[in-house]
Amino acid sequence: MKALVFERQLARFAASRLAADLAGSGHGVGVGPLELLEVEPPALPGEDWVRLEPRLAGICGSDLATLDGRSSRYFEHIVSFPFVPGHEVVADVKGGLREGERVVVEPVLSCAARGFDPPCDPCGRGERGRCERIAFGALSAGLQIGYCADTGGGWSAGLVAHESQLLTVSGEMSDEAAVMIEPAACAIHAALVSERAPSAKVLVLGAGTLGLLTIAALRAHVSPAVLVVVAKYPEQRRWADRLGADYVVGPGETLRAARRLTSSLALPADGREIARVTGGVDVVFDCVGSADSLESSLSVVRPGGEIVLVGMPGPVKIDLAPLWQREVVLRGAYAYGTEQTPAGPRRTFELAAELVASRDLGELVSAAYPLERYEEAIAHAAAAGRRGAVKVVFDLRRRAGRQLGGKKENR
Amino acid sequence: MSPRPGVVLEVDRSTPPTLFWYGEGFRLEKLPVGSRVIYPPEPVAALADPEGAIRHALENPLGDSAPLSSLLTPGMKLTIAFDDVSLPLPPMRAPDIRQRVIEAVLEMAAQKGVDDVELVAALALHRRMTDEELRHALGERVFNAFAPYGLLRQHDAEDPSNLVHLGLTEEGEDVELNKRAAESDLLVYVNINLVAMDGGHKSVATGLSSYKSLRHHHNVRTMQHSRSFMDMHRSELHSSNWRMGKVIAEAGVKVFQIETTLNTDTFPQQFRFLQRREWEWNLADRSAFLASSKALEKTPPEIARKIFHSIRAPHALASVQAGEVGPVHVRTLEHVHRQQLVTVEGQTDILTMGLPFISPYNVNSIMNPILVACLGLGYFFNLYRGRPLVREGGVVIMSHPTPWAFNPVHHPSYIDFFEQVLADTTDLFEIESKYEHAFATDPWYIHLYRTGNAYHGVHPFYMWYWCAHALNHLSRVIVVGGDRAAVRRLGFSPASTLSDALEMAEDVVGRDPSITHIHTPPLLLADVQ
Amino acid sequence: MTRKPASELVSFLLRAPTRPTGAEAPRLKQRTGVEYPTDWARRYPVRLARAMVLDDLTLPFVRAAARPRFHGRDALERLEGPVIVAANHASHLDTAILLAALPPKRRHRTVVAAAADYFFDRHWKAALSAFGLGAIPMERSKVNRRSADAAAELIDDGWSLVIFPEGGRSPHGWGEEFKGGAAYLAKRCQVPVAPVHLRGTRAILPKTQSPARSRFRPGETVVRFGELLYPRPEEDARRFAARIEAAVAMLADEAESDWWAARLRAGQGETPSLRGPDVSPWRRAWDLPASADPSRQVAGQPDGSAATDWDD
Repeated sequence: MKALVFERQLARFAASRLAADLAGSGHGVGVGPLELLEVEPPALPGEDWVRLEPRLAGICGSDLATLDGRSSRYFEHIVSFPFVPGHEVVADVKGGLREGERVVVEPVLSCAARGFDPPCDPCGRGERGRCERIAFGALSAGLQIGYCADTGGGWSAGLVAHESQLLTVSGEMSDEAAVMIEPAACAIHAALVSERAPSAKVLVLGAGTLGLLTIAALRAHVSPAVLVVVAKYPEQRRWADRLGADYVVGPGETLRAARRLTSSLALPADGREIARVTGGVDVVFDCVGSADSLESSLSVVRPGGEIVLVGMPGPVKIDLAPLWQREVVLRGAYAYGTEQTPAGPRRTFELAAELVASRDLGELVSAAYPLERYEEAIAHAAAAGRRGAVKVVFDLRRRAGRQLGGKKENR
Repeated sequence: MSPRPGVVLEVDRSTPPTLFWYGEGFRLEKLPVGSRVIYPPEPVAALADPEGAIRHALENPLGDSAPLSSLLTPGMKLTIAFDDVSLPLPPMRAPDIRQRVIEAVLEMAAQKGVDDVELVAALALHRRMTDEELRHALGERVFNAFAPYGLLRQHDAEDPSNLVHLGLTEEGEDVELNKRAAESDLLVYVNINLVAMDGGHKSVATGLSSYKSLRHHHNVRTMQHSRSFMDMHRSELHSSNWRMGKVIAEAGVKVFQIETTLNTDTFPQQFRFLQRREWEWNLADRSAFLASSKALEKTPPEIARKIFHSIRAPHALASVQAGEVGPVHVRTLEHVHRQQLVTVEGQTDILTMGLPFISPYNVNSIMNPILVACLGLGYFFNLYRGRPLVREGGVVIMSHPTPWAFNPVHHPSYIDFFEQVLADTTDLFEIESKYEHAFATDPWYIHLYRTGNAYHGVHPFYMWYWCAHALNHLSRVIVVGGDRAAVRRLGFSPASTLSDALEMAEDVVGRDPSITHIHTPPLLLADVQ
Repeated sequence: MTRKPASELVSFLLRAPTRPTGAEAPRLKQRTGVEYPTDWARRYPVRLARAMVLDDLTLPFVRAAARPRFHGRDALERLEGPVIVAANHASHLDTAILLAALPPKRRHRTVVAAAADYFFDRHWKAALSAFGLGAIPMERSKVNRRSADAAAELIDDGWSLVIFPEGGRSPHGWGEEFKGGAAYLAKRCQVPVAPVHLRGTRAILPKTQSPARSRFRPGETVVRFGELLYPRPEEDARRFAARIEAAVAMLADEAESDWWAARLRAGQGETPSLRGPDVSPWRRAWDLPASADPSRQVAGQPDGSAATDWDD
């Protein structure tokens, strides 16, 4: 079976880091620790596990950070090597009672998958993303499928998953739509994590996949008073507009837009007329996660406001004086689990499936590549915004026509 | 040799290429045979003794007004208001005409022993002038006698304690005025009437008023019904100001209006070719053109901007009249028309214009895209009397580099207007209803207007409204050589060359269109028959 | 005793001991302002150095930039012994021009009363003033015992004194009331006062709100010395000060008109006050003579004749 395998090789880490720094994200793959290999399919770790054959598997921002060697050493002990990346997966079930079913995988490897009974407190509440035991139990360490040596991952011809991780995809839904459910779930979880966001002035920083999905999620579940989106590229601007942004501005326009929409005063610095606003928006969803984006978030959030980190941050150096002086809440938003909705608790993945279906989010998949062209695929994903793409996926379907059902040419 | 009148030239095969202004530069363009080029009249003769003429005007006022010296008494409160940095264009060589007039007024006031005198720059919602600009406009002697004692002020339309509401016009328009001016025993207003729009009751009613007043005539409806605002008899803008003038007079504010006209001697010696007709360029003109256009190609835009904004026009005083507002303004218009009027037969399908580096709102600053639109569609388009130069449904082609660039000190709200409002819509009424209020009341813009050198938050809206008549009238606006993204943001079409632009225009107005080029600056006013 | 490593010894040497909170703190010595000692600046080698800087640098520059013409110095030239030179004050140039006006011998035995709060507020400024101009610190408004004693001692010692009785440069071009310092010292030391009027220095270098804003325009100046004034026994310092002011006012009148007309007006008691008309600020500014108004001086176009009676 073919799989893209990520080995723990320090020299190659360093090489990919260097290449990414020199040539840009996504260009360290050739020299990095990722290789296309012929491997044995992973063994079933237990009874409740099934084999899956991926149809589409997405390339996520966190994958790119890993491949560039930029991800945090924090993850060192909650992943296990070698692993097959790919946690945004739509797949067919092979064998067992659910043979032939088309499913999406909820990749978090929490207590249920790890065989803990009773589960940890968060898992007991359905908050799988907050599981305390992701490095323990029946499986090797790994916070999700795609980072665990025992399960395989989406960037291959086969992986295994625990039954609790599967969500059946309805017949009408395309594979492209289904592969967007996992990232959409992240976005919904992020949108719902902030108590301040409803009827508030909200700014979404970044309009890659996560940013765009966060816009859709906010529109569907939170109804902010004003939704401003910072988008860099024309394609992103169009999408942001379509998904419900009230204002779409360029990165250089963020401060001015935030200032004006909140009728705030502003302070200059370093020769810029506006370096930070004195009031600002209530909530910033930082869908980038870089030092720059955090600094930008801090400069536009109001005193007592909130910054939600949606994009995966790494080690960043940042001045926290504004956070302290303005009593800003900085909080993370990782993965998903169960959300409190007016209709009672709902599984995030179900909400995500509804959102993807209702907003036709499958259209965000802009390019698909076979595994063999992984270097190209990753370079495309890393430059997605600039190249007018949103989500880039691997297409593992047997007879996969390389075109995606008529969606590409009209954009 | 008396100055020659303006002329409408028909381009034939012997016509040399025509000069088009292109921001901080210029180009020679070959217009199709049969096109018309409107040239302004040559500068009229300067008054031989400007000081004498000023004194004569002050002592022999027009209309129902006593000589200025008899209006001055020791215990009185006297306020002298003057036009701000937006006039004249380009700024004139020292001594500025405001300095000459104000020195004459002050000389009289000193002789009469008037102690309580204040000077006010009639900014309306324009940016405050810098000390340097005030020194230039008023001269150092006036500046030194007033500025150190806080007696030289700039009108602050956002200082409620310094405004007074005088009542409503018969149309229900608020008249709010600078308190010091309204409560003075005499308000002397010193005008520079560069174009026919300037002066009259507009001086006080606009220059010394507030947003509350201005919104009644600075709006889309008024501007669409001002055809053109260079012709006060067909300008709703002026009707409203005249109504306000009546309220001001009825409230007991005594205005002594001084209006001055300048001749159109616009460029100093080294740029003299810019105001000559191309077929009359001599060797010196041709070499000056060649040298400056070649040099400008290699000059970074900021430096080119510096060079052009340091031009001081040799403008000379052509007339000065003083007294009662109405009769003074009638006389002023005669002088403006004498200098600027050119008779033009019939309208045209395509109107071309070269936009220079300066407009009233970017003195010592950057001509941002909104100001480009305003200069072309607000000012140049409206330089007519009778009917517009271009027919309804016609096309305007203007040449300007239209950089996506702003002066953040002078034009902060313009940046937001361009980035946020025009990105959303270019529709006049939608902009007015959806955004104007928020910009006009934004505390940050107000802060910068009051304490810095920023135009008021609502000012970019007025620039856009200034284009209202043209935007309604035209079916297409093409910008030659402009930044594409910026031009598109304005809702106009970019073209790389004039011939491309003419091709694009033909798609709209049909084959073999009539083309007219307005060869300005120097300024002209087309009397379209 | 244990041996300490070298680094500890070094740090022991370098670090002053901390003072216990209970111990009495020594009084801080104020060595600026009127307390600034200037004796060093009158030692012979320093005087020699100052004379060189003054004669070869400062004064040639002043003569070139301000082109002073001097009138009425003969009384001063005849006088033996110290004198108090009292002048109106509108510009930083005034001191140097007055020094230029003095005969070299007297010049090098002259001290200049300079505002303690301006020229002596920092150590470096104090040193520079004391060295460059032979300045001694003086309180602007009141007679300070310490500075008065110091000045009187110097006069008794044979030093002449340059002093501006207005207490500072005029901000608006008109004069201020003459304070009593010069008169007091003249009475106490029984020396004459030479009243001097300086015309045109404000047009060259007026007082501005901050030094960064100052503008320098070379021009012409006229320095007019009046008859020496001796203190009268029946006269107190205030009255004598008023007499000095009147003498300078007459010189000013003479500068704007001519000697005879000024004399006539003085005889009638109609000499215009140095302090300008008592009207609103703008009219006072408007009424300034052109010679005191920087805005009416066109650089390179001096109004005066070609007379040059300045020498040495």
